[in-house]
Order: sequence, then structure tokens, then C-alpha cells
Amino acid sequence: LLEAEGFDVVGEAADGAEALRQVRALRPAVVLLDVLLPDLDGFKVADLLARETDEPLVVLTSSREAGDYRSRLAVSSAHGFLAKPDLSGSALTELIERR
Amino acid sequence: MTSSRLRTAFLALGLALGVIGIVVPLLYRPRAAAYIPLDVTLGWSFVFAGWLAWARRPDNRTGMLMMLTGLVWFGRYLDWWWRPLPNLLGAFAVVLTLALVAHQFVVFPYGRARTRLERFLVGAAYGLAVGGFALTRLFYEPEIRPGCGTCQPNLVLVDKNQRVLAFLGDTITVLSLALAAAILSRLLWRWWKATPPARRALTPIVCAAPPVALVVTINLVQGSFGGLFSPARYSLMEWSTLVYTLIPLAFLAGLLRTRLHRTALAELVVELSRAPLPDQVRDSLARALGDPSLQVGYRTAGLPGWIDADGREFALPVESETRAFTVLEQDGDPVAALVYDASLLDDAAFVDAAVAAARLALENARLQAELRAQLVAVRASRARIVAAGDAERRRLERDLHDGAQQRLLGMRLALQLARGRAKEDEELAQLLADVDHELDGTLDELRALARGIHPAVLTEEGLGPALETLCRRSTVPISLEALPRARLPAHVEAAAYFVTSEALANVAKHARASRASVAVRENNGRVVVDVTDDGVGGADPAGNGLVGLRDRVESLSGNLLVESPLGQGTHLHAELPCA
Repeated sequence: LLEAEGFDVVGEAADGAEALRQVRALRPAVVLLDVLLPDLDGFKVADLLARETDEPLVVLTSSREAGDYRSRLAVSSAHGFLAKPDLSGSALTELIERR
Repeated sequence: MTSSRLRTAFLALGLALGVIGIVVPLLYRPRAAAYIPLDVTLGWSFVFAGWLAWARRPDNRTGMLMMLTGLVWFGRYLDWWWRPLPNLLGAFAVVLTLALVAHQFVVFPYGRARTRLERFLVGAAYGLAVGGFALTRLFYEPEIRPGCGTCQPNLVLVDKNQRVLAFLGDTITVLSLALAAAILSRLLWRWWKATPPARRALTPIVCAAPPVALVVTINLVQGSFGGLFSPARYSLMEWSTLVYTLIPLAFLAGLLRTRLHRTALAELVVELSRAPLPDQVRDSLARALGDPSLQVGYRTAGLPGWIDADGREFALPVESETRAFTVLEQDGDPVAALVYDASLLDDAAFVDAAVAAARLALENARLQAELRAQLVAVRASRARIVAAGDAERRRLERDLHDGAQQRLLGMRLALQLARGRAKEDEELAQLLADVDHELDGTLDELRALARGIHPAVLTEEGLGPALETLCRRSTVPISLEALPRARLPAHVEAAAYFVTSEALANVAKHARASRASVAVRENNGRVVVDVTDDGVGGADPAGNGLVGLRDRVESLSGNLLVESPLGQGTHLHAELPCA
């Protein structure tokens, strides 16, 4: 879907630990990160990514709504949040451009 | 010989000795007999007070000790025999009397030494009396004046030695003063630490102790240290005897104060006949027994241990010097237990009588306590059921989110991809658009369902944000007037949330209201929920939704109030303990 809307998807990860490894190897510009991961919590992964040199822009996503995580989002190092029903290339672009 | 015969014999002997003590000196030396009546008064006061105490409290040895003290005191008149041996024994009787008095100060009101310290103090008193007397007599030679019948030669004289005698006298005086000080401080300490019934018994003795201690000190010091105060000696002797008379009276008063009166028993029977509540049974018994610390425990068929009147667990104490208990049985099975101050054991018969009088009331109280215990158990199990229900709802919500919803979202993404590729085929594009629309609807319904089961925001963010979200979604305008700032225990948050959510659902469905308000406040460890609308009122308190809410609130020992007069809106008020 993202590729169809012009994004270049360089890698995919099944869990938080793999995401960290892939980011270090591939150095992407944007990371789309699920809150609910099998190992680490998405918020935790976002914080770890923020400590990397040349850190990527992190957008969190979840099948739950932003309001369900409002206090954690307020202090998170993630750039933004997109609920999965609203997830699309254009929505992501809009969020990135707001930077 | 039975105790009552022995008592009568002691009394007769005491009377006779007193009479002899008055008559003999009058016959032989009328002038020297001036102090005799005071001495006899002292002996008789011990004998009579002891007799009374013994008769009233046959199970307590204090009375017998007092009578013995009086009889031994009369032994001093043996020196009127005008022979050396009776003279020696008479002098010893005076010393022995002092030891007996010390003994009673130590063991009162129990009549026997109960601790090692008490046994040591009693032993020291007798040891000092016997040892001191025996030692001094080896070196003491009395002055023999012609015509003085009570001036007899010392039978056990070894060596007439004034220096040794003076040294021994001073040593014994110092030891006696130390012992008296130890006994007095022990007495004051016991009084200070005593429970109310024990203190009641000790108070007269504590009042009598200071003047007695003063007189003992003066008398001891006078006879020693080179005869200090000697010019005043005889006038002091006179009123010191009067002060000593305080001792048996104080013992008697203390002993009778611990005795519980028949009137107390009569009052108890009357009070219990009014079918009192379990707590009142305890209070009545505590009053009758004069022990505010009294506790009552009950045994019930369904539970292994003891319970109190409120149905809570109750532990019987270990029998000790301070606490004792009596178990009330029925057909060999324990039904109730009274735990009280151990000093009441002095009058065990009265405790038994009071327990017997309270038997029916205690049995009644036991049944009520059993009911309360069942209520406590039911409340606990209801709370557990609600908690288990909440946990299950949280799990369902999570499963819906992580399972079905995730799959549908995946499908939707794939569908969007397909729609992007099917742009040329109009018919297919329309079909896919319809499927996408349906899928959106399904996802919305699924989210609403999950939220209704247990909103994620409640688990993640707490009651305040969850209520804000809830109110935002309501179709009726809602003003949120107060929200708790801090997180609360999960079960309280869940209850407060579902109360508000059910109330707002009712507002939307039935109230025909134009607006409503929600306020959730924390107040003195309670969470108070108020939901008010301006609708038509007339809500049925027995309706399914409200009954379910009441069950949930009451499972936390809270309460729910619904006011819904016709045409005047509805006000729902719930209070939840925040523990």
C-alpha cells in the first residue's frame, strides 16, 4: 500500500528487537511502528530508536485510538501516531510533512 | 480441718489472744499497759479483716495470710510470761510479723507469688527476718532491771559485743530499707501497668503504702545508726501502730473491690433479657465483670476458627498472667468464648455465674455473628465474581483488538491495494468500494463492541480520560464537572466507569434529556459518582440496568441511589469505597 503511494519500503521487522537491528543496518528515514509488539512495547522501541545517531522519524500505529494512549503519546519520543483504520500513504505523508 | 473451721478457730484464737493481751498487763503492770490497747487493735484488725476477706473469698489466700499476721503479732505478749524462752519467741514474733506484712504487699491480690521476682522478694523478707534476728541475738544482752518481768536474759547469747551488734543492726537496717523500697516500687509499677480490674484491687494498698513505708523507715532508722531520733521514739511508736492498722484495712478494701457484686449479676440478667444485639451482650458482660477489655468470640458450624460479633476472624489468646478465657459449651461443643483480664480469675465463680446468666443471649449473639460471617463471605465472593468478570472483559477486549480487528485491518489494506489496481474496471472498482464500505462498518462495530466490553483507554489511561472519551461520544451534550486526577484501584475505576456509562446510556435511550452532567469526586477515601439529566425522569430502580449497577456497586460495599421523579430529570448517585 505504501509503495503504491510512492514510499520506498526498505525493510520489515516482526518484533521490536529485529526492528532495532534493521534500523541500524538500513538507516531508514521513517519507521512505522506498531504499539503492540510480541517482545518490546512500541513506545519503548521508539525511545530506543531516538537514542540512535542519525535517528529515523518514528510514527506509531495501533488498532486502538490515539486517545487510548494519550498520556504516553504526550511524553513519547515518537513523531506521531496514526490509528490503523486511518493508515494510508497520504496520511503518513501529511504527518511527516508536519515535521 | 475444712477451711471454714480453720477460719473460725483462727478467729477464736485471735479474740482470746487479744483479751489476754489486754488483761494480763493490766493485772501485773497497769502503768506499763498504756500502749497495749493500740497493739491489740492492730492485731485484731488483722484478725478481723483477714477473717472477713477469707470468708468472702475462700479461694484467695490473702485472708488466711492476714489472720496469720494478726495471730503472730499477738505472739509478742509471750514476754509477759517472764521467762527467757517465751521472751525470745515474743521478740521473734514482732520480726516475723514484719516479714508477713512484706509477703502480703508482694503477693496481693493474688495471694501467692506468681513470678520469680515475687518469690525472691518474699524469700528475702523471711530470710532477712529470721537471719537478722538469729544473728543479732547471738550478741545482744538485754539490760536486766530488778523487778522488770519482761527483762529476761538472752538464752542464745554467745558474746556480748556492742560493736558487732551495732554493725549487724546497721546492716540489717540498710537491707530492710532496700527491700522495702524494692517492694514499694514493685507495687507502684504493678499499679501503673495494671488493667482496670487489677488496678481497682491495688489502689487501696497503693494509698496505704506511702505512710506505712514512712513509718517503717523511721522505726528502722531510729533503732539504728546510733539511735538517731531516739528522744522521739516512744511518741512515734504510739502513732506508728495506728498507721500499721491501715494495712489490713487496705488489704480488705482491695480484696472486696475485686469481688463483683450480686447486684451486677442481677443487672446483667435484666439487661440480657431485653434480647440485645451481639455488641450489647459484650458491653453488658463487660460492665457486670468490671472489665472494659472483655472480648467475646463465637464458634460457628461452617467455619474452622472463632469469629467476633461482626463475623470477622477472632483469635483466642494464649492463657497468660494478663489474659484468661472461659469457653461456653453446648452438648460438648464450644459455642462462645469470653476473653478477659486474668485478675477476674480471682473470682472465677462470679465469671462462671455471669457466663451462665448470659448463655441464652450468647447463643443468640452467636447466631447473629454466624449470619454476619456468612454475609462477609458472600460479600467477598461477590467482589471476587465481579473482579473475575472485569478481568474476563479486559481479556475479551484485548483478544478482539489483537485478533479479529488486526485481521480485518490487514484485509482492508489489501483491499485498498486491490482498489488501486482495479481503477480501469469500473464495475470491479464499484464492487471493491462496496466491500471496503462494509468492512469499515464492520470495523466500527467491532471497535464499539470492544469499547463496550472494556475500553482500552480505561486500562491504559485511567478513569478521567476514559470518562472524557465516553462523554465526547455521547449523543446528549454532557458537561463534565469533576474528574479524579490520580489513578485509582482498577476495580474502583471499572465500577465508576460502568456506572457512568450505564447511566449515560439510559440518558440517551430513555430520558429524552437535552443535557446531562457527570461529576466524579474523591472524598474521604470514597469515590462519589453523580450523573444528572434534565429529562423526563421516572426511571425504574428495579430495571435490569440499574439492578446490575447496584450489584456491581454493592459488591465493593458501596451504595447506589437513584432519584427520578416524573418530569424532573434523573439523578444517579453512587459511592464506592476506595480501598
